[in-house]
Amino acid sequence: MTSKIEKEDLSRRNFVFGSIAAAGLTVAPGVMLYQTANARDLSKPVSSKVRWGMLIDTTKDVDWNKCVEACVKEHGLGNEEHSRADQRTQYIRVVDVKNKTTGYSMSLPVMCQHCEKPPCVDVCPTGASMKREDGIVLVDRHRCIGCRYCMMACPYKARSFVHETLTDQKTTTPRGKGCVESCNMCVNRVDNGQLPACVEVSEGAIVFGDLNDPESDISRLLAKHGGKQIRADLKLNPGVQYQGI
Amino acid sequence: MWLQLNINFSFSSLLKGSLQKLPLSVAGLALMASFTTVNAEVEQDELGPRIEIPESSGKSCVLPEDEIRRKHPDMLKHDRILTLREGVRAKADGNNLDGSLKQCINCHAIKDDNDQYVRIDNDKHFCVSCHKYAAVTIDCFQCHRDIPEGSSNFHALSGHKNTDFSSVTPGSYGLTVKDMANIAPEVSSDDK
Repeated sequence: MTSKIEKEDLSRRNFVFGSIAAAGLTVAPGVMLYQTANARDLSKPVSSKVRWGMLIDTTKDVDWNKCVEACVKEHGLGNEEHSRADQRTQYIRVVDVKNKTTGYSMSLPVMCQHCEKPPCVDVCPTGASMKREDGIVLVDRHRCIGCRYCMMACPYKARSFVHETLTDQKTTTPRGKGCVESCNMCVNRVDNGQLPACVEVSEGAIVFGDLNDPESDISRLLAKHGGKQIRADLKLNPGVQYQGI
Repeated sequence: MWLQLNINFSFSSLLKGSLQKLPLSVAGLALMASFTTVNAEVEQDELGPRIEIPESSGKSCVLPEDEIRRKHPDMLKHDRILTLREGVRAKADGNNLDGSLKQCINCHAIKDDNDQYVRIDNDKHFCVSCHKYAAVTIDCFQCHRDIPEGSSNFHALSGHKNTDFSSVTPGSYGLTVKDMANIAPEVSSDDK
C-alpha cells in the first residue's frame, strides 16, 4: 500500500486507492477539448448505440474543487442541515493520494464511474439502481427504499444517502430523504445537449463524449493516449477513465 | 325516526282531512312539504366540508378538466417511468410530456397575499387543496420541487401529516361532496 488518503473526514471512503499506485508520471499531452453532446430527439428513448463516458486528465493543473462546486450548484446539493460532514451527499469528491516512497502526490476527482456492469444495479432489490441504455448509471428514487445495499456494493464508494428532510430542491434534480443518490452524469444536461457541469468548468481536463463513437473526441484521445480505469481488475468497465494515475 | 314520525303524522292528517271533507290536494301538498323540509336540512349541514378550487389561469390544461382530474395520477406515473428510465423528455411535437410534474407546478403554482408562492405545507397549494380534502397523502414533494424554479421561499415539511384538520368546518369550503361527485361522475377503473 503506497498511497494514503489525506482527508480525515472522508475516512469511510478510504478504499480502493491502494491500487492507484501513484507510480510513474505518465503525462499525456493535454489537448484542450470541449465536446458538445449532440442533442438527440427527446421524444425517443435513449439508445445503447451511445455510451457516455468521461476521460479525466489528472496531470492538468486544475483545481478539482471547482468541479465539485459546479456539481453542488447544478444539483442543489449541500442543503442538509443536520447531517455530519461525512454523511452529506457528495456526487464528486477530490481524493489526494501520495506515494510515500517517492513523496509524489496528486489529486483526482472521483464520482460514480458509470460501470458497464454496475454492481449497484446487480444488488438492488427493487430495481431502483439502474443503468440507462446510454450507459448512465442512476437511481430511480420512485423505487428506492433506502436499503443502502448499493452503497455497500459500489467499489468506488460513489453513493450517498440522504438522512434528512430536504427543502428547495432543484427542479432538474429531485432528491429527498431516505433515498440513495450519486453522480448521474448530469443526465438532465446531457439530454439537452449540454456538457455535465463538472466538465464545463474543468478547463478541458475532463473530456465528455460517446465511447461507442470512434470519431468522438474522447474515443480519439483514448485511442491515442490510452486511459486507466480505477480498479480495472474488477472488470466492471467503468465509463469514467483517467490519465495520469 | 323523525322522518318516519313525520310521515305518520302526514298520513293521519290526510285521514283527518278527508274526514273533514277537505280537498285531497291540500293534504298531498302537506305531505310533500314535510319531505322537502327533511331534504333541505340534510343538504345544508350533513354533506361535509367544501373545498376551494383555485381559479383557472385561463390557459387550457393538457386534458379537459374532468379527464385530468381522473387521470392525472396515472399520467404522472407513466411519464416518470418514460423520462427517468428511458430518457423520453418530450412529446413528438417537442412540447413537455403531459405528465410532467414540473409543468404542472409551473402552471398551477399559487401565490399568497405577499406575492410568494405557497409551499406544500400550505392548504392553498394547488395539489394540497384537493388531496387534503380527499385524504390522499402525496409523496411527490419529498423529492420534487413544489414551486416553480427561481423562487426560493422554503417549505417546512411535505405531506399532510402536520395539516390541521380541526380547522375544516362544515360549510366553510366552496365545494360539497355532491359537487365532488359531479366532478367525477364515472367511477370506472382506468386499469385495463
